[in-house]
Amino acid sequence: MNRRAWGWVAHLTDGGTTPWADWSGEAEPCAEVVPGAQQLELLRRLNLAGGVGAELATTVVASDPPRRSRPSLPLVGGGDVPDHGPRPVDPADVPDGELARLASVLLAQRLASTTLEPAPEVLRPRVWRTRYHLRGDPEVVVPLRRHLVADGRPPGGRHPRVVIVGTDTGQLLVDLWTAQSLRHGAPPWHEWLAATVRQGRLPEQVDLPRLARRELDAGVDRRAVHVVTDPALAAGLLGVRRLPDRPVLSAAAADLGRRVASALRPMARPPRRARLTTEVLRPWLETDDGPALVVPPRHREWVTGRAEHMVGELTRGRYRVHGDPALVRPTERPADNPGVGAAASSRTLALAVRLLLGTPRDES
Amino acid sequence: MTRRVLLHVGTPKTGTSHFQDVLFRNQRILRKQGVLYPAERFDAHFLAALDLMQLPWGGLEDEAVGAWDALAEKVRHFHDRHPDGTAIISHEILAIASRAQAERAMASLGHPDTEIHVVLSVRDLVRQIPAEWQENVKHRRELPYGKFLAQVRDPERATPIGSWFWGVQEVPDILDRWAAGLPAERVHLVTVPRPGSPPDLLWQRFSTTFGLDDLELDVEAERANPSLGVPETTVVRRINVKANKVVPPADYRPLVRELLAHQTLSRRRRSPRLNLPPADHAWVAPLQQSWIDTVRDRGYDVCGDLDDLVGDPPPADWADPDHPDEAQVADAAIDAIRALLVDNARLMHVEHDLHERVGHLERELEKAYLRPTYRWREKTVRRLQASRVGRLALRGYRFARGRSSRSA
Repeated sequence: MNRRAWGWVAHLTDGGTTPWADWSGEAEPCAEVVPGAQQLELLRRLNLAGGVGAELATTVVASDPPRRSRPSLPLVGGGDVPDHGPRPVDPADVPDGELARLASVLLAQRLASTTLEPAPEVLRPRVWRTRYHLRGDPEVVVPLRRHLVADGRPPGGRHPRVVIVGTDTGQLLVDLWTAQSLRHGAPPWHEWLAATVRQGRLPEQVDLPRLARRELDAGVDRRAVHVVTDPALAAGLLGVRRLPDRPVLSAAAADLGRRVASALRPMARPPRRARLTTEVLRPWLETDDGPALVVPPRHREWVTGRAEHMVGELTRGRYRVHGDPALVRPTERPADNPGVGAAASSRTLALAVRLLLGTPRDES
Repeated sequence: MTRRVLLHVGTPKTGTSHFQDVLFRNQRILRKQGVLYPAERFDAHFLAALDLMQLPWGGLEDEAVGAWDALAEKVRHFHDRHPDGTAIISHEILAIASRAQAERAMASLGHPDTEIHVVLSVRDLVRQIPAEWQENVKHRRELPYGKFLAQVRDPERATPIGSWFWGVQEVPDILDRWAAGLPAERVHLVTVPRPGSPPDLLWQRFSTTFGLDDLELDVEAERANPSLGVPETTVVRRINVKANKVVPPADYRPLVRELLAHQTLSRRRRSPRLNLPPADHAWVAPLQQSWIDTVRDRGYDVCGDLDDLVGDPPPADWADPDHPDEAQVADAAIDAIRALLVDNARLMHVEHDLHERVGHLERELEKAYLRPTYRWREKTVRRLQASRVGRLALRGYRFARGRSSRSA
């Protein structure tokens, strides 16, 4: 019986795509233990998606599922199985989410072994620059700050103005979750959002009036606090002509990023991890043009309520507001691109498979 | 000459904290006897284990990157200098390692040229199942006991709870992963004595297994992982439900896990103890017996008695932590509040003292500023800085003085 399992391993490492249930060939054992169902099914999916080189096939077969999930599972009908240990399964029954988790570990290993280019040269601080601090939507302010620093405009200095960047409240929440996911992993979007709704208030990082009040409480002059409800308006306040492009990750890309960032944590220290995520992982993820993540219908009413609350507070605030406060209200997505309220595991897995194979977007 | 490594790989809740604490505090004595316990901090092997298994752990993994290789390097270096020395590595979460990770660990420690012994301390499931739930609760989990048990019973083990529980508690499977390539005489089981046994019996078994019997060690328990009763565990779980979102992990550890659970609630010994529900004894007993049979057949070295793994029968009056006696819970909660008040008062005094010290320093600083010489120097510098010639003169003075600082 064990010979049948080893026959399937050989078939898959040679690029085969036959499911385990249909397999009947045999081969001599190559090791003490047959690789797990998750590894073998992932290898089969990779073969289905395109050619897998011998090196990648070996890496997949030798990989380990993350230790917070099920360990390597024996194949049902794949040989004698002891009374103890995990029960055997048909690899076709391994959920896509579990395969995506394993693929994320492989992508994280690839990331961790990446040699980074020397850090880009940063211009000396310009003498005549606008002094600023940036707060708000992390998917806007983090790349914007990086862009400004590289351009000789570091934050801080004497009497800086505080620019708090906002937008549609639903997008603010998506952006905050995406930023946290890519920084160190986070719970899935639906779990994170449900926990936020249970809290009953917006997280401070995207609660624009609360951010502004905090600055005032810290003694910042009210004329120096600027809330923008349209990110494009931040450019003028910062003394630059335009903001850098801001690619929005698809739901599948954000979900995969969350998984890879989590798997990367034990492999790289925070400073290197931050660079790997920003300079390598993000460009990989931005190649996916699937539907974007949005607030699912069951939480829209709550988000709209919080947005209305923000509109009221921004209107009454003792600080400057640039743009219509109503812009923080959730907007309707275009009918041809409505977005999705959760990432489908199948799409996350498909993206992970494509990235492992190194397939460009137009061939996917 | 034989290089030896004793690798203690689990299981959790078998007195491992105390054992590791004794080794950590007695490193010098051990070293004089040719025994290395390489650790700069008491949890050094925990970080190494996280690194070996690439295991996220609430942010602690950030400190763990490269820790296993560093640990293995210390062991190899020690053996280069002491070819007949013994190194001890111990952490209970190593029990979850996959076969490949176990092989990598052993290779990094010098296997097969080095004589590796795997040690597994084990306790009956009747005590381990409730203890694992309690450990989960002390690690911020919110799930009730019934839900935990349902996930443990699920044969699919598809949830993180089920997967983790069996990963660190299924004795034959742990030994399949860690001891597959070792002769039986290099695999050692230490059984946790049955309830009511002498308190130092477990230490004696560890001591014998690790060859420490002839050493004068300080075995006083400074760091242990004490257990909680039913109402106390309920209090911690309810705190988790209410406070998890507002108390970050770094604050939770000292406040809830250490101050409340370990230092306060674990001292309440008269409350009902946490036990396995009577109905679960029916499936646990045959499973446990099958493990005993498997281990006995393999012929491993056992320190203690494999029959220690046969759990006690269910108590006559089982207390359900999901439906606890609310008066007992309230009583435990009052003790928790009292502990927090006492600690808060202590911190208020610390804060008050610090305010006084800051005020004193500010007054001293003020006095220094008010001295005529200081004011004269400050005025001079200000005047010099107002003109180009003055600034040049100031720069020349500073250069001659040998300081680059621009402060006056």
